[in-house]
Amino acid sequence: MIQVLGGIESTSAALASERVRMDVISQNIANATTMSGPDGRPYQRQQVVFESVLRDRLPAGGAGLAGATAVRVARVEADPRAPRTIYDPLRGPVEVPNINVHEEMADLISASRAFEANLAVLKTARSMAVQTLALGKR
Amino acid sequence: MIDALFNQPNYVAAKRMLDATAARMEAVASNLANVETPNYRRIDLPRAFEKQLQEAVRSGDVHALRNLRPQLQPDPNAAAVRPDGNTVDLESEMVEMYRASMEHGLETQLITGRLLKLRMAITGRPT
Amino acid sequence: MNAIPVLPPVTGSLGTLQVAPEARVPREIPVPELQPLPWAGAAVQPGSTAAPAPFGEVLSRMVGEINDRQVAAADKVQGLLGGREVSLHETMIALEEASVSFQLMVEVRNKLLESYQELMRMQV
Repeated sequence: MIQVLGGIESTSAALASERVRMDVISQNIANATTMSGPDGRPYQRQQVVFESVLRDRLPAGGAGLAGATAVRVARVEADPRAPRTIYDPLRGPVEVPNINVHEEMADLISASRAFEANLAVLKTARSMAVQTLALGKR
Repeated sequence: MIDALFNQPNYVAAKRMLDATAARMEAVASNLANVETPNYRRIDLPRAFEKQLQEAVRSGDVHALRNLRPQLQPDPNAAAVRPDGNTVDLESEMVEMYRASMEHGLETQLITGRLLKLRMAITGRPT
Repeated sequence: MNAIPVLPPVTGSLGTLQVAPEARVPREIPVPELQPLPWAGAAVQPGSTAAPAPFGEVLSRMVGEINDRQVAAADKVQGLLGGREVSLHETMIALEEASVSFQLMVEVRNKLLESYQELMRMQV
């Protein structure tokens, strides 16, 4: 694999991870009021578990990246917390998904910023590579 | 003998600066990829490297310039920006990235300029 | 120091010319010592008594250096394509420097050929 810019694999890993995270959060928000899913139970909040993967190859240019890690989605798991119970005047106590929409939105924003930042890294790396390829030419 | 063509201090300095810029860009890529990783410490070129580079450029010491090698390492001065110990500040990394991008443009232009001048001196023709 | 001798001011039948002292040209004009070019005189130290390296040797050394550069550049390209620790800018610079060196060799060859042909055209 030609190293256009050392460290670009972490960037693509981060983009993928943040994408999964945004999808999961969107799903949580969309189902914040789903009180009866396919199994009859309220929607259970999903969360993403990240893990750090140590990069197994040194980056190009011998810059000697110390402790190079890439982030990866280990799994998407159900939030272990039980659904909330609210009191509906018509039907009595009802279980609803334990989803705080404000929290989810804040999470979504930070995932989105991380995604955009890594996208900017890709674009900048590409334009730098184009400039490098034109080295020495009029 | 041919080395003398490429041993001019400014040219060697531009090449070293390009190495440093490429290293910085790698650091930014790694830092931003790990902006959400718990306990990740941001990496960068050591501050001393900047000073060494400037000193070598000022003194015009080609030998010193040749021996400068940029090495990325965890930044000891970075403060934790999140409770999980992550020290990556997204905005400052973006600023670093745009700075590196502009410096990259400058350095490639300097190097290209020198190479084109050499070609003109050799052949007598502009290209 | 090579000095250019200067004729003394002329006096004679025209009567003595009153020439202001500061208008006189100094008796000897010093000529600055010519320094050998650093790369051409690589084999010659200023002031040494050894004969300069024959031009053929200088040329073959130059060709050897240029060839080394081409090989090093090709090696870098292989490294880059093979995923070794070679960066893109390192490779591009090595390629360009090898190309400039090669161009130098070609021009030297052309000039030598021209001079040879010029020499051959000379009427004896």
